[in-house]
Amino acid sequence: MSWVQATLLARGLCRAWGGSCGAALTGTSISQLPCQLPRGLHCSAAAYSSEQSLVPSPPEPRQRPTKALVPFEDLFGQAPSGERDKASFLQAVQKFGEHSVRKRGHVDFIYLALRKMREYGVERDLAVYNQLLNIFPKEVFRPRSIIQRIFVHYPRQQECGIAVLEQMENHGVMPNKETEFLLIEIFGRKSYPMLKLVRLKLWFPRFMNINPFPVPRDLPQDPVELAMFGLRHMEPDLSARVTIYQVPLPKDSTGAADPPQPHIVGKSVGMGAATSLTWPRPCQVPAGPRLGSLGLCAKSLAGHRACMSPHQESRVPISRLPWPATVQPGLGGVRRASWQNTEDPGVEEGPVFAMCMAGAHDQATLAKWIQGLQETNPTLAQIPLQTSSAGLEEPPLPEDHQEEDDNLQRQQQGQS
Amino acid sequence: MALVHKLLRGTYILRKFSKPASALYPFLGIRFAEYSSSLQKPLASPGKASSQREGDLQGDHQKEVALDITSPEEKPDVSFDKAIRDEAMYHFRHLKDEIVEGRPLHDVLLEQAKVVWQFRGKEDLDKWTVTSDKTIGGRSEVFLKMGKNNQSALLYGTLSCEAPQDGESTRSGYCAMISRIPRSAFERKMSYDWSQFNTLYLRVHGDGRPWMVNIKEDIDFFQRRNQMYSYFMFTRGGPYWQEVKIPFSKFFFSNRGRIRDVQHELPLDKISSIGFTLADKVDGPFFLEIDFIGVFTDPAHTEEFAYENSPELNPRLVK
Repeated sequence: MSWVQATLLARGLCRAWGGSCGAALTGTSISQLPCQLPRGLHCSAAAYSSEQSLVPSPPEPRQRPTKALVPFEDLFGQAPSGERDKASFLQAVQKFGEHSVRKRGHVDFIYLALRKMREYGVERDLAVYNQLLNIFPKEVFRPRSIIQRIFVHYPRQQECGIAVLEQMENHGVMPNKETEFLLIEIFGRKSYPMLKLVRLKLWFPRFMNINPFPVPRDLPQDPVELAMFGLRHMEPDLSARVTIYQVPLPKDSTGAADPPQPHIVGKSVGMGAATSLTWPRPCQVPAGPRLGSLGLCAKSLAGHRACMSPHQESRVPISRLPWPATVQPGLGGVRRASWQNTEDPGVEEGPVFAMCMAGAHDQATLAKWIQGLQETNPTLAQIPLQTSSAGLEEPPLPEDHQEEDDNLQRQQQGQS
Repeated sequence: MALVHKLLRGTYILRKFSKPASALYPFLGIRFAEYSSSLQKPLASPGKASSQREGDLQGDHQKEVALDITSPEEKPDVSFDKAIRDEAMYHFRHLKDEIVEGRPLHDVLLEQAKVVWQFRGKEDLDKWTVTSDKTIGGRSEVFLKMGKNNQSALLYGTLSCEAPQDGESTRSGYCAMISRIPRSAFERKMSYDWSQFNTLYLRVHGDGRPWMVNIKEDIDFFQRRNQMYSYFMFTRGGPYWQEVKIPFSKFFFSNRGRIRDVQHELPLDKISSIGFTLADKVDGPFFLEIDFIGVFTDPAHTEEFAYENSPELNPRLVK
């Protein structure tokens, strides 16, 4: 009898101590006991499952229907129209509050909601984060005695609160007074989530505006506007003019006979002053497919850029061309096989007089752009142009810009 | 089989001479196993390896390399004593150079600007190392090579934020370029003394991505190995080069990537290395061209440290 008592005691001990001790204490003699003993108050599910894994018992018949792998997953799938926006997200949060008055499993729910935020597009919304923090029961996790204050009181819940703040930090959401009030109400003033909040409030304003070349978070979707923004962003000279040489045709009007017309947006810098000089050397037009990855927007700003720079002997390097980069196929361009292909040893650095971004990346587009440049700068027609063919596609049939294309092709043959 | 063995022995000789870092291994003894385990590695490029050595030594083992590759049947001259003697001679010669060579005092005292790292040839790339999140199982790639005309270094690659599927990592996506710790004779650790300068000066050409500039202090404590001082460098993209000037007072203190509560300024007299990290959560290719990295004194900059300690976070410091 005493043996049975001892094993029962050991069993209770191992439950109280959780999974790690339970694995050590559970012997074979214990495993033969029936598993229908009442579970202890502080027995966690992890400890129970670890005991189960040691015991090869037959699977119990399921009484309840099969649940989702992640608890509360079904709350997020219940939107009537199936749309995923802020309203349906807040509806799911509200439904969790109605689901159980005692807020059972709220830590699991908050972790799940944090993972779901990006799907619903609310990861930058401060009000939603405040709603998530509002799920926590108030006044329960605040330490009430000196002992509780010394040791971390309700550590899992505090970790969950920190996770919410961490996600706010990763998306650059600055907490406000309401967040602070909620955290004080939930965890108390001397708690780890409050410490995190103080750090956020201290460091966010310091790094908020340090970028001297700021990029807006939402970039224009139109490729022409995007190219204009990119050119303005790259150009330090404010007096430079942006010219749209060609706009893409709308999609419905593109017939089989019309070739697709790529957009060309160019920017010229002080071309008047430059063309008044007599250039002793040919002007170079190196072209390179270029992914203008502007900070946050590498995926959206693709296009071809070409720059003109006079061939100079000076050692002052101002531009370095062509750019070894790739162009994304989305906006019409070629994908380079490797970086090494764009190496062009003949090009040296010189001042940049014009650059452009285009949707396509071929000789015709380049010729069109140069023709547009010649309209404003007639001197350009007398200057021989060298192009580097490193990044260009196979030239289409030259039709109208005969001389430029011939020039380009000659240069290309000379270089390749 | 014997031929392979000879080849390996030939490689061994090359490695022995070409790896300055392994110079003290015979003395240490413990690392000896690692020393000889590098046999199976492919041949290091002989030109690169031997270009760092000077004098008669270079001629000798250049000849040896050529001998080994052309006719492996010929017995190479393997002698531990000779190798050890040569390494010792090499280090003593360096020690003598360090002691004898120097600059006049007024040069050192009145120095206003200094180029610390520049990229003019292959041997400048050996002072740097690149790393990416491939080391933790990610998918980013980063490469470093000399740019066009041997006038700059080109750091390029692809950033990928896909987290490794190891069950514990949730975030990923970084690429970095770190300078090696300078070593003097007998592989002693050296550090840079920039205490008379107050601004970091970089000439770069980027593609518009923000980079983080990390400076590491030369420390002897193992527990402080993850501490560094960082600030950000913003590139503007386009064909233009830009000159980035970052005052040292702007650098903030962090440990394991987390900003510490107690901030102090960067100790400029013991700088161990500098690094550039890209982790801006945007997937795609990137590049950064660096011409040189230097330091200079900006007399107009009088700020000592940009970050005050918060009385809310560490009330004991602020009274």
